[in-house]
Amino acid sequence: MKIWLEEIKTVFKECDDFFLQHDYLYNQPVILFGLSTLIDIPQTKKLIEINLNMPKYSLQEVIDHHLVKVAREQNNIIDAILEGKIILYIPDFEKYMIMEVISKSLNRSIELPTNENVIQDALDSFIEDIDTNIGIIRKHFRTKFLITKVISTGIEQEKKIALLGLEAHVNQNLMRKIETQLKEKHDQEIHNAQSLVKTLGFSAWDIVPKYKSTEIPTEVIASLKKGKVVLIIDDFPFALIFPNFLWDMFTTENERNLPIPLMLFIRVLRVIGVIVATLMPGLYVALVSVNPEVLQLELGLSIAQSREGVPYPALVEVLMMLVILELILEASVRLPKSIGPTLTMVGGIILGQAIISAKLVSNLLTIVVAGTTIANATVVGIQNHLMLRLLKYVIVILAAIYGVLGIIVGTVLICAYFASINVYGISYLDYQVSKDESNNG
Amino acid sequence: MDRSMFVSISYFLTHLGLIFFMYPTDIIASTDEAYWIPITLGIIIHFIFLSIYMKGLSYFPRKNIIMIYLSHGKIIAWIFLLPVAIYLIMIIIITIRSYSEIITIVFLSNTPLWAIMFLLVLVATYLSSRGLDSILRSSLLLAILFLPLTLFVCFVSFQNVDWRYIFPLTTNDFRFITKPSYLMSYFSIGGVFLFIGFIQPLFTYKPKKILYTVLLLVPFWIISVYIPILTFGNSTVPHFYFPFVEAVDSIDINWLMFDRVTVFFLLSLITFIILFLSLILWMFMQIITTCIPKFRPNYLLILISFISFVCCLFIPDWKDVEDLFLINSPFRFFCLLIVPPSLLILGIRSKRKEKLENG
Repeated sequence: MKIWLEEIKTVFKECDDFFLQHDYLYNQPVILFGLSTLIDIPQTKKLIEINLNMPKYSLQEVIDHHLVKVAREQNNIIDAILEGKIILYIPDFEKYMIMEVISKSLNRSIELPTNENVIQDALDSFIEDIDTNIGIIRKHFRTKFLITKVISTGIEQEKKIALLGLEAHVNQNLMRKIETQLKEKHDQEIHNAQSLVKTLGFSAWDIVPKYKSTEIPTEVIASLKKGKVVLIIDDFPFALIFPNFLWDMFTTENERNLPIPLMLFIRVLRVIGVIVATLMPGLYVALVSVNPEVLQLELGLSIAQSREGVPYPALVEVLMMLVILELILEASVRLPKSIGPTLTMVGGIILGQAIISAKLVSNLLTIVVAGTTIANATVVGIQNHLMLRLLKYVIVILAAIYGVLGIIVGTVLICAYFASINVYGISYLDYQVSKDESNNG
Repeated sequence: MDRSMFVSISYFLTHLGLIFFMYPTDIIASTDEAYWIPITLGIIIHFIFLSIYMKGLSYFPRKNIIMIYLSHGKIIAWIFLLPVAIYLIMIIIITIRSYSEIITIVFLSNTPLWAIMFLLVLVATYLSSRGLDSILRSSLLLAILFLPLTLFVCFVSFQNVDWRYIFPLTTNDFRFITKPSYLMSYFSIGGVFLFIGFIQPLFTYKPKKILYTVLLLVPFWIISVYIPILTFGNSTVPHFYFPFVEAVDSIDINWLMFDRVTVFFLLSLITFIILFLSLILWMFMQIITTCIPKFRPNYLLILISFISFVCCLFIPDWKDVEDLFLINSPFRFFCLLIVPPSLLILGIRSKRKEKLENG
C-alpha cells in the first residue's frame, strides 16, 4: 500500500497544484492529498473533522462500518483526485479514503440562455456541469418516470454522458442503440459533438444535424415527452436531442404558450422564411440570366433597368454579394461586443449605398440578398441556420446553369437528401418518434 | 411498416407527371370526337388490371414479384422478368429523352439537350441510389411543395373554356383501338403500376388505398384531354405537340407577377417525372441485382445510368422518340395485360398446392 502513495506521487509529479499534507485525526497521523485548484482546503478539512469526529467510535470502527468510502484500487484514487475529491490516507491502517469536499466554485451560475431567445417561458438555461443540468431538468419535470443512465467514455480524458428518456414514452430501440453504441466504444474520446456523432456511428459529413441542440430545459422536457432521447454531456452547456426532425426547424416549445392561431402564424412565417432563404438568390439568378421571359414584361424591364451598367453576369454578382454577407455575419460573431456595431454600420453603408452607386451590383440584388439574410434568421436553431445558408449555394449554382429548372431540380435534390437522412431508422422527415412495438410499457 | 400513404402519394404524383404531356396528344390523335370513350376504356383497363395485380400479389405476402417468379423456377422468371426489364430500361431512356426535349421546347431553348438529359439522369440516379424509403419519403415533400401549384394551374386552366366544344358526346367510330397513337397513350396508363409489386418485402400497403388513389386520378386523365379541346376546339388541337401545355399557356392572370404560369406548372410536373424515373431505375436495379448479385449495387446503378444517358444521346429527334414509344408498346402491354393475370394464376395455383399439402 505504501507503494501506491509513491506511484500516485509520480503520476502527479508534474502537477504543481497537487498537495500532500500531514495531519492528525483521532490522534492518528493521516495524510491528505488532492488537487488544490479544485478543492477549498481549509473548509474541507473542517468538514472532515466534523464528519469523522464521532466520539463514541474509534477511527477503526468508522472505517470498518464503511461510513466513508474506502478505495480498493489505485486507479480509483487517481480518478477521484481528478474529479476533485480529497483522499485521506491513514498509514497505520493502510487505508485510502475518498472524501467529499467543499469544492472551489468553478461553475458559473444558471443564467439566461445566450444562444437562443425565449419569449414568455422559463428563462433558465443549461451550464457546463452535467449534474446541475440533470438537476435543472429534474426540477422542471418532477416525475419518477425519468430514466437517467450515466455512461463514461474516453481513456485519456473521461467524459460523463447522461442518457435521458421518459419511461413509457421513449423509443426503446433508439435508447438501446445509443446506449450500446456508447458502451461499445467506451474508449473513444469525446471532445465535441463531431466526435460524439462519430462514436454513435454516423457520418460526420452530413450537413443535416442528427441531433437538435438546445440550452433551454423546457425544450428538452417537451422532447422527452415526445419520446426522444436526450444526451447531456459533461462540459457541454447544451443538451443534444436525438433524433432531429425537419419539422423542428419550424417549431419552438415556448410558442405553445400562445393561442393556436398565433402559434400557427409564427410557424407559417418560418416555413416562408426557409423557402425564401433557400430559393430567392437562385430565383434572382434564374430570372435575370436564364429565363427572363417568365416574368411579366413590365417587371422584366424594370429588373433589366436596375441591372444596367453592372459589368458582370448575374451569378458572379450574386455570389459576390452573398459571400460579402457571409463574411459580415461571421465577423460579427467573432468580434467583441464593443466593436460589433461598427462593423454592422460599415457593412450597411457599403452594401446599402456605395456598392449600388458604384454600379457594382443592381438595386434589386441588394433587396434580394437582404431579404434572404433576414429570412434565414427566422429558422430555429443555429445549425439549421447554417445548413440553409450552405444549401442556397447549391440552388444558386444550378440556377445559373439551368435557370428555373435548376431551382426546381435543386429542390428535388435537397428533398431527396433530407429523405435519405435517418437516425437508426427514424427518418428526418418523420413527424414524431413512434414508440417501439416491442415496448408496451 | 405500413407505407400506404407514401405509396399512394408516389403513385399519384408519378401518374400526374405522365398524364399531362403525351397523353392528351395521343388521345386526340387517335379519334376526332367523343374523347371520353378512349379515356374511360383506358381507365377501366388500368383499374381492372391493377386490382388483378394486387389480388395476385396478395397471395404472396412479404414477397416482391421477382421473388414470386423465381420461386416458380428459373424459366418462368426469365419469361416474365426479361420483358419487364426491357420495358423498364426502355422507359428510362424514352422518358429522359422525351422530357428533355419537352423542356427545351417549352423553356430552355438555348440549353443543349445533353445538359438537360445529364441533369435528369443525375438526379434520378442519386434519388434511386438512396433506396425506396427515400424515394417514397421525398415524394411526400414534393407533394407538399409542388402539388398545390399543380392543382392551382389545373383549376385556373378552365379560364378560357367554351363548353360547347364538348359535343359530340357519342360516336360509332371505334377504330381508335387499333391506332398506334392510342396504344402509345397507355404509357401514362400502364407506366407506373408495376412498382406496387416491388415494395412488398420492404414495406406493406393497403390495396384499397391504392385503388382510391386511382379514383382520385380519374379527373386528371379527363382534364388533360378536355381542357385543350374545350379551349381550342377539336379541329385546332390535333396540330399541337403538347395540347395541354398550349392550353395552360393561354391562361392570363393579371395579379400574378409571372407571365407564364406554364413554366411553373411544367416544372412541378418535371419533379414528378424525376420521381418516376428514380422509381423505374430503382425497380430495374432490383431485377438486375438479383441477376448479377456480385457487383456493388451502387456501381451498377451508375453504370446503368451512364448507359442510358449514352443511349439517349444517340436518339437524334422526336420522330425516333415516337418510334421508340411504338416499339415499346408490346412490352408495355405485356406488363399491363399479362403480368397481373400471371401473378393471379400463380397465386391461385400455389394456394391450391398448399391446400393439398395440408390435406
